[in-house]
Amino acid sequence: MTHRWGMVIDLDRCTGCEACVVACHAENNIATVGEQEASRSRAKHWIRVERYYEGEFPDVKVKFQPVLCQQCDAAPCEPVCPTFASYHTAEGLNGQIYNRCIGTRYCANACPYNVRFFNFYNPAWDKPLDLQLNPDVSVRSVGVMEKCTFCVQRIKAAEIQAAAEKRPVKDGEIQPACVESCPTSAMVFGDLNDPESEASRLANSRRSTKLLAELGTRPKVTYLQRGSWHGGENS
Amino acid sequence: MAAKTPEQITDDLLRPLSGISGRYGLGAALLAGVTVAACCAFFYQVYAGLGVSGLRWPVFWGFYITNFVFWIGLSHAGTLISAILRLANARWRRPVTRCAEVITVFALSIGATFPIIHLGRPWLAFWLFPYPSERGIWPNIRSPLLWDFFAINTYLISSVTFLLLPIIPDMALVRDRTTGLKQKIYGLLALGWTGTPKQWHRLETAMHIMAIAVIPVAVSVHSIVSWDFAMAPVPMWHSTIFAPYFVAGAIFSGIAALILAMALLRKFLHLEEYLLPIHFENLGKLLLMMSLLWFYFVFSERLTTWYGNEAGEMPVFWATQHGSYAPLFWAMVFCNFLIPVPILAVKKLRTITGTAVASFTVVVGMWLERFLIIVPSLSHKYLTYSWGTYRPTWVEITITAGTFCGMALLYMIFSKVVPIISIWELKAGQHHARHGARIVQPAEPKEVEAD
Amino acid sequence: MPVPPAIYGLFADPESAERGMNALNRAGISPKRIVVMSAEPFDEYSFSQMDQATPMPWIAAIGGAVGGILGFLLARLTQEAYPFPLITGGMPLLAAWPTGIVTYELTMLGAVVTTIIALLLSTQLPNWKPKLYDPEVSNGKILIGVLEPSDSMRAELENRLRGAGAVKVKVMGVRP
Repeated sequence: MTHRWGMVIDLDRCTGCEACVVACHAENNIATVGEQEASRSRAKHWIRVERYYEGEFPDVKVKFQPVLCQQCDAAPCEPVCPTFASYHTAEGLNGQIYNRCIGTRYCANACPYNVRFFNFYNPAWDKPLDLQLNPDVSVRSVGVMEKCTFCVQRIKAAEIQAAAEKRPVKDGEIQPACVESCPTSAMVFGDLNDPESEASRLANSRRSTKLLAELGTRPKVTYLQRGSWHGGENS
Repeated sequence: MAAKTPEQITDDLLRPLSGISGRYGLGAALLAGVTVAACCAFFYQVYAGLGVSGLRWPVFWGFYITNFVFWIGLSHAGTLISAILRLANARWRRPVTRCAEVITVFALSIGATFPIIHLGRPWLAFWLFPYPSERGIWPNIRSPLLWDFFAINTYLISSVTFLLLPIIPDMALVRDRTTGLKQKIYGLLALGWTGTPKQWHRLETAMHIMAIAVIPVAVSVHSIVSWDFAMAPVPMWHSTIFAPYFVAGAIFSGIAALILAMALLRKFLHLEEYLLPIHFENLGKLLLMMSLLWFYFVFSERLTTWYGNEAGEMPVFWATQHGSYAPLFWAMVFCNFLIPVPILAVKKLRTITGTAVASFTVVVGMWLERFLIIVPSLSHKYLTYSWGTYRPTWVEITITAGTFCGMALLYMIFSKVVPIISIWELKAGQHHARHGARIVQPAEPKEVEAD
Repeated sequence: MPVPPAIYGLFADPESAERGMNALNRAGISPKRIVVMSAEPFDEYSFSQMDQATPMPWIAAIGGAVGGILGFLLARLTQEAYPFPLITGGMPLLAAWPTGIVTYELTMLGAVVTTIIALLLSTQLPNWKPKLYDPEVSNGKILIGVLEPSDSMRAELENRLRGAGAVKVKVMGVRP
């Protein structure tokens, strides 16, 4: 049976350390844009940790929510792309084909989660940092949209390996960079078509919610949290 | 107007075509300068990347799309005035139709460059065209940008034709009045027109068909442009009111642009006896109606949003009413409604100057309206952590200025090359007015011939 | 082809042009050899009544239908052309609403383009070859004349045209 990749993020475990953000940058060849560009909101954090403060000092509570591409089943970013650069793969991922992208940025506007990023300049790495680039991931050029791919290179590698070894992909074998780096194991990745996978089981938990579910995007990232916040937006 | 002979009319309306004054040359040079600067800014942007603009996460559309929607909207001038007035057989339309059609063609051409200007990789813009590519892929029909492509191209072809068809007899007229190279060029453009009844009948039939065809095309074009926004789940974009709202706004800005163009033409080309106060009066009344209609649409949309009190939409709403976009919002209401309506409603103020002033404020206000539709919504989407701002850079400002100057320049050049008032239509209108409706006489001998 | 021989009169107003036309009709000239040229369409006058019937609206409608069919095929076939279905946003591969929009636009384009082509073909424009024409026409005169008049009729035609009120009568390319 085909896989259907999904992710579960336990917000009650997330400490907001942002190891996932750093790991994603390293794994996916995301350039740092520099201080000036970052101040102009041009940073490309495929996964970001949103921070919300509740209450007044000294009774402040901070809530962390890692937001990444939700790989929606009814993704609003897909039908609006004129060149099919954003489309739905057979395994349920929202694929972004850099070569097809002509940079209309309509997908970024349509995405309610704001998880799509644009290359405003050609990314550059000062030497010798260019030596650390991941050879499995293409480097995007200026004018192209990019976003979280659920580390599709790792998914493909595991599937190819499993096919070569004539066995199915094991649950937990595929770990996107963010999932792998999380120190509190707040993130779980797995096959939602496999009812035995940890991701499927956690997605059915009583604490599960989806971000902006009311918009009808059918996201495949499930958040676990006791009680809702965000002013009722994701209850 | 005092009855002018056909020769006088021809002389008056062909006079702008002969020679340019120093003032014209200076004006054209300035406009050309700004237009060239805009082209340079664009090439710089292609070279360095869209980072030179003010666009950023999450406001990915800014000045360029504002200009796109604005200029496409302005291009509704020609269609509605020319086509609807032709179909309604309104007698006062005759000096006005070509001015309007020219605005359409140039505004549409300018507007149609913006989908290319705003692209991240503009050299690949041709991928929007459906052709069998070596990659085996065709464009995505589901995308409103593809609908834009078809609609704008259809409208462009239709409006260019709508402009060029009635120009043919006037090209023949100019051909007969010039010599040398000019005559050769105009002779080429006249297509060998001689004015036989068959040619006239066919031309008029074709124009009638075009007038009927171009109105639904125009309505569809701006509806489709509005759906670039309405199809996305963005707060205050995803609204069913967008298509009628945009079409009404387009007609509104188009009529204003037409009045402005006519006022300027009247002054600079000395067309005081052809572009009469009655024309400005009538167009002024239309503008008044559109201003009220615009207000009705804005009021309906805002009331529904406010009453609905949806969590996603209210931040956008308040940002434009009280927040960071409030100055622009209230300036827009001033320019589109509070200033034009008194001027246009009071007969004493509905003079040529009055309507021109009202039209100028409307053009400014409608540009602001396009901006305020796009940017506040993108700045305040559903996740509050991802709210942002937008500031244009010199690149965007230069390109915007370049479009206005380019439009004026194109218009100036056109008015020097082609009579800006349709001479044959004006004469035909005159003789209809003089002779009234004439019963068609059969071709039979009705007098005794003095042999 | 050189300019055909002709005799014509230039009339200053449509009434006298009509008298000229009637005079030529009474002289028994077949309508095929009568030329009329004017700087405006004088639709209500009899001298403009010939060549009025045209199927152009029907042609435009047919052109629109053809455009619509092409648009429909474009919208449907191109989406299926890729080796595997490119699904977007949970929408069907062959989506009705966008197909409808593209079909509509190409219908209108078809109607417009067909009208232009029909116009050019039926008026036989562009035609830059030398032909019978008088620049006085664009000064507001109406030209009513006869192509290839027989030698015997020449004088009579000139008289008739003058009698009807022609401001000028010209003879072109006729053998002396």
